[in-house]
Amino acid sequence: MTKNKFSLRRAVNNMNLVRFRFWFQIVAFALIVYGGYIGLDLGDKLPTFACVFNGEGTGGKCYVGELQHDLKSTFDTLAGYAGYAFLISLGMFAVWFWVLNKGWCGFVCPLGTMQDWLTMLREKTKIRYSEYSWANRGKIKSIKYILLILLLLLPVMIANSVFGLPKLPNGLSMPFCDICPGRMMIPAFTGDFNQFYIDFSSKTDIVMTTIGMIMTGLFLVGSFIKKRFFCYFCPMAALQYVFSKPALLKLYKDGSKCTKCGDCYRACDMDILEIADDVTSKNLVTEDCTLCLKCVAACPEDGCLEANFAGLTIFESTKEGFLVRMAMDQNKENHAH
Amino acid sequence: MHTEHTIETSAERQNRHKAMEAIAVLNSLKEDFKSPIRSMGYFYDLFEKVYCNHQPLHEGKAKIGTMCIQIPSEIIYALDAVPIRLCNGFYTDDEIGGDLLPQKSCPLVKATVGLFASDNFSDKPDITFSPTTCDQKTKAGAIIESLGHSIIDVGFPRTKESEESRHYWRESVKSFAVKLSKFQGKKLTRSNLESAIKKVGYAQSLYHKLTEFRKNKAVPILGVDMFLVTNAFFFDKIDEWISAVEKLVSELEQRASEGINVAGKASPRIVYTGSPPIFPNYKIPLIIEQSDAIIVADETCSSNRMFNDMVAVDEWNLYDMIDSVSDKYLKACTCPIFTQNDDRIRRIIQLVRSYSGDGVIYQAFAGCQVYEMEQRSVLAAMEREGIPILYIESDYSPSQHGQLTTRVEAFIESLKNRKRMKK
Repeated sequence: MTKNKFSLRRAVNNMNLVRFRFWFQIVAFALIVYGGYIGLDLGDKLPTFACVFNGEGTGGKCYVGELQHDLKSTFDTLAGYAGYAFLISLGMFAVWFWVLNKGWCGFVCPLGTMQDWLTMLREKTKIRYSEYSWANRGKIKSIKYILLILLLLLPVMIANSVFGLPKLPNGLSMPFCDICPGRMMIPAFTGDFNQFYIDFSSKTDIVMTTIGMIMTGLFLVGSFIKKRFFCYFCPMAALQYVFSKPALLKLYKDGSKCTKCGDCYRACDMDILEIADDVTSKNLVTEDCTLCLKCVAACPEDGCLEANFAGLTIFESTKEGFLVRMAMDQNKENHAH
Repeated sequence: MHTEHTIETSAERQNRHKAMEAIAVLNSLKEDFKSPIRSMGYFYDLFEKVYCNHQPLHEGKAKIGTMCIQIPSEIIYALDAVPIRLCNGFYTDDEIGGDLLPQKSCPLVKATVGLFASDNFSDKPDITFSPTTCDQKTKAGAIIESLGHSIIDVGFPRTKESEESRHYWRESVKSFAVKLSKFQGKKLTRSNLESAIKKVGYAQSLYHKLTEFRKNKAVPILGVDMFLVTNAFFFDKIDEWISAVEKLVSELEQRASEGINVAGKASPRIVYTGSPPIFPNYKIPLIIEQSDAIIVADETCSSNRMFNDMVAVDEWNLYDMIDSVSDKYLKACTCPIFTQNDDRIRRIIQLVRSYSGDGVIYQAFAGCQVYEMEQRSVLAAMEREGIPILYIESDYSPSQHGQLTTRVEAFIESLKNRKRMKK
């Protein structure tokens, strides 16, 4: 038995993931939201919601914003230099993304972090979380792809007449930014509440900014009652998933060790059934996964689930780690209650 | 000299017969094997106290009878009561119950009903909760009730994959908690449930520690002793069970470091599965270990299945704790009452791999239909995996001993040959 040996591996596998993630997210949030004040600029191809509306504070910029901008060109220019620029941007986005894979969502995304804070608040108030029925859970999966296609298509349709349709008004040039709750929520953290407005300059603007306000309201209410409410619909998640296969950070499962006890599914904020029920796939980074690794922390089987970076196991499920995290490793016989 | 002639009452006769059954097994455990374990003494004494001397353990406490393994003990402990699992292994009680149930019923169910019929408990349950698992257990509830005992059915689904089952079972557990809470006149709270979950979890973690030693080449503890330890959890005071097992763990640590082996060097390592061996029905496990094999792991509801999976809570609030408790008893369960049971097959294979098993012995009680029905699929799966398996049907009767021994010995002999050939 390796019981008495201290090892880094054992310490990592026994770690309190909730606490680790809480602090990691705070640091990441600070860098993304306030990094600009200390001169941090990670570029404008970030696979996470670093909001361009966050003026000087932002430590980088979200690629979805850039993507909409890149596509607002005529077909002629898109076939030429604008097309190259688009592909290069996309490539840089992919390179950023490959480092953390969906871990960008679970550990870095400021919108994700805000939702986790709201979840903590709810937990403190002892209000039960809501869940989708499995049928609805399946149905809403496609919404993020629809949003992605729209945000790709609309800018193109502003600059071009597609299938003989009239060109779209310029007010739709950043369609997703208009409705993204990040546009309002993230600048608010640097004291800028100017994004909370309805733009009356044109009909399109009225509609889009109104939807934006509604989305922000939904974001706040939704993520209070449903863990990671917004992530179910996130077009960034859809875009990321296209590039997920070659990424370096992975969530692997050894199905032969799985008892299908469902502890991982219970822990999953995204209610991903496959994590418990799929005993044949190795790569369990599914489309909605945020690589938060809560499933790994909740798994009681030695080596059944693991976070793997470029072929190296960095954090894996162990019986001991499970017991430590559930505080079942010692008999805490206190009659204090 | 004046001698008083009294006629033995039926209860006395029952107790005497049960004591005879119990002591025979306990003596065999104590004396038939080499390198006995000191800290097993606690368990031998416990069983002797309860089954030979008919001594109550829980006077002054509310005793909650449970059947099978699905009634959450966490909730019972949280509400300051003691769970007593009534699944019964006595042939004496089996014969009494035989009068009340069809001839071809499962001996475990017959013995359980028989004990209720005799109403001769050392610790009589104040109320009993019975999950609707297999047909026989389900129907036995009404028979027990007709004998004048208070028994409450707890609806248990027979599929575990579906969303409906999950919800249904969560509701069942909630309603069980409400009923018990009313019965006890005590509220289930966040703090009492949390400590109960952690205490039961700790007890389970000790079981996991014990099983780790069985992965060793030199196995420091017999399978029959393990069955006795897990069996004690049915009725023992949890704190005493915990401290006894803590002692056992440290003694096994010692034995493991000294390389003490309770079996022989070439003894085949057996994974035991099927109908649960419940004290004193250790017939087949004893035959196995008396025939120079060693049980290194099991997949039964009186042992591994009862301890393997712990409650995993995400949010330590009452709502999530109750759901986690419910999910544990449904999702992780490998009971053959479920429609599909690939999980059980995968568990057996996994046990064979991780405990370096040489073969599997699958025992079904004659009349235990679900285990009998799963036999084919398990045998086919083992064949696919190249794992030798022996299927045996038996009951609680003391007959057939010779025939069963012959079959088990032949299987173990063939495993030994196989081992030799491999070398």
